Amino acid sequence: MPEAGVLPDDPHPLPPPTATFARDAERHLLDAPRHCPQCGAPIAGPGGLVVEYWAAEDRVFYCWCRSCDWTGTVIQVDRHIGHEASD
Amino acid sequence: MLTAEQNAELTRVGPGTPMGELLRRYWYPVAFTRQLEEFPVKRVRLLGENWAVYRTPDGSYGVVEEHCPHRRASLAYGVVEAEGLRCGYHGWLFGRDGTCLDQPAELDKTTFKDRVRARAGRAEELGGMVWVYVGPEPAPLLPRYDVYVMDGVRDFGHALLPCNWLQIMENAVDPHHVEWLHGRYFEFLGNRMGFEAPKSFQRRHVKVAFDEFDHGIIKRRLLEGHSEDDDDWAIGHPMVFPYCMRVGGAGIEQMQIRVPVDDTTTWFVLYTVHAPDGAPAPDQDVIPDYELPWRDEQGNHIVDYVEGQDIMAWVTQGPITDRTVEHLGKSDVGIAMLRKQFKQQLAAVAAGRDPIAVVRDPAANDRIDLPCEKNKFGAGADFALQWMNLGFTRYSPQLQDLLRLHTEAAEVRASA
Repeated sequence: MPEAGVLPDDPHPLPPPTATFARDAERHLLDAPRHCPQCGAPIAGPGGLVVEYWAAEDRVFYCWCRSCDWTGTVIQVDRHIGHEASD
Repeated sequence: MLTAEQNAELTRVGPGTPMGELLRRYWYPVAFTRQLEEFPVKRVRLLGENWAVYRTPDGSYGVVEEHCPHRRASLAYGVVEAEGLRCGYHGWLFGRDGTCLDQPAELDKTTFKDRVRARAGRAEELGGMVWVYVGPEPAPLLPRYDVYVMDGVRDFGHALLPCNWLQIMENAVDPHHVEWLHGRYFEFLGNRMGFEAPKSFQRRHVKVAFDEFDHGIIKRRLLEGHSEDDDDWAIGHPMVFPYCMRVGGAGIEQMQIRVPVDDTTTWFVLYTVHAPDGAPAPDQDVIPDYELPWRDEQGNHIVDYVEGQDIMAWVTQGPITDRTVEHLGKSDVGIAMLRKQFKQQLAAVAAGRDPIAVVRDPAANDRIDLPCEKNKFGAGADFALQWMNLGFTRYSPQLQDLLRLHTEAAEVRASA
């Protein structure tokens, strides 16, 4: 697995840069959680599962950890939006 | 969306691959009983390997790796003997367990035959099909799912599809496609081609849910105008791990079977039993099996029937779906759950445990009932006729008999 924010040298795990949605595949490889939120074990590759799906503006990472069997979703947050007080 | 590494792990089924090791823990249908009765040996391909499956004169079955360990000729061209299969090239005879029993051209006292054996699996007949297990010993039991052992009129439609089995399995946990592929798209075709598409497939999905259980994942749908008391929500139906889906309604019971032939080929079998209430099941000397046409002479998909639409959706994804460039939504959470279930079972096998849906207790295997809607889409008895006329059964040689069976059964129920 590449270092955070760094694409792997070997481009083979990714579609060619000119392919449609190549940027989305690249972002998934870079941004998918690498460690279990519960136990910290690696969850990339054989150690777990990370499935990305999109909901509204969110990129949701459905994660499973092989070490502790934790299943849950991880959503990267850029801005925390609180509720609006009613009038 | 997955990484290429995770996609490969989930889709490669050959020997030595993690998924191949998991999938070899299960039994698979590889032929119709009729085929081995008509000619007692047949070449089959399963999980990326070729095998010779055969039927001995006493009605027992065996399966060995296709290539003879002598000079690698095909045992599918061998002679079926009472003890097993004899290679057609030089007469080496192999018992059901792969033991070499005879090497005619070698000296009688040689121990050569004790030092060579064919790879062998196990083979049995159940419900009109021949099943094989090619995994490690001790072999589990061949699961006696309800459809395979229930009374009724059997009907087998099938097709060999040029795509990986997993993208077909993902369809089994994808309820929304029904109202679009079999609803809106079917209606669009009907308007263009001059037929009426079935309304029962067009209901909008209000809510979907997925529950894991011992044999896979149960899928539920709440349709517009229905309540949670309706069968589609209250009962649902399951994806049966790792290669089937149980569906049905209105007296039609079915197991959709997706045999992983190799990485880019799946044998799709619609194992169907017609058992409507009110009609005693007639005797069935021969179970018809028929290939489903899914491409026309110009190479275009045939999409004016339900299963033809599914086949189009699966095959046009490509030989192996490139999941690095898919874009899933929240409506696809069942697919994420399915992939997780496969990963969990990969881990179980790697740890030396049985994966789910492996059956070893004979007491639990007389008949394994699976949940399945009776009143499908709220369509009542009409669902059976809609499904047969606008589904794959239209190609069955016994279509008219089946239509009559369901119609007469409905009349009996109405008069009761």
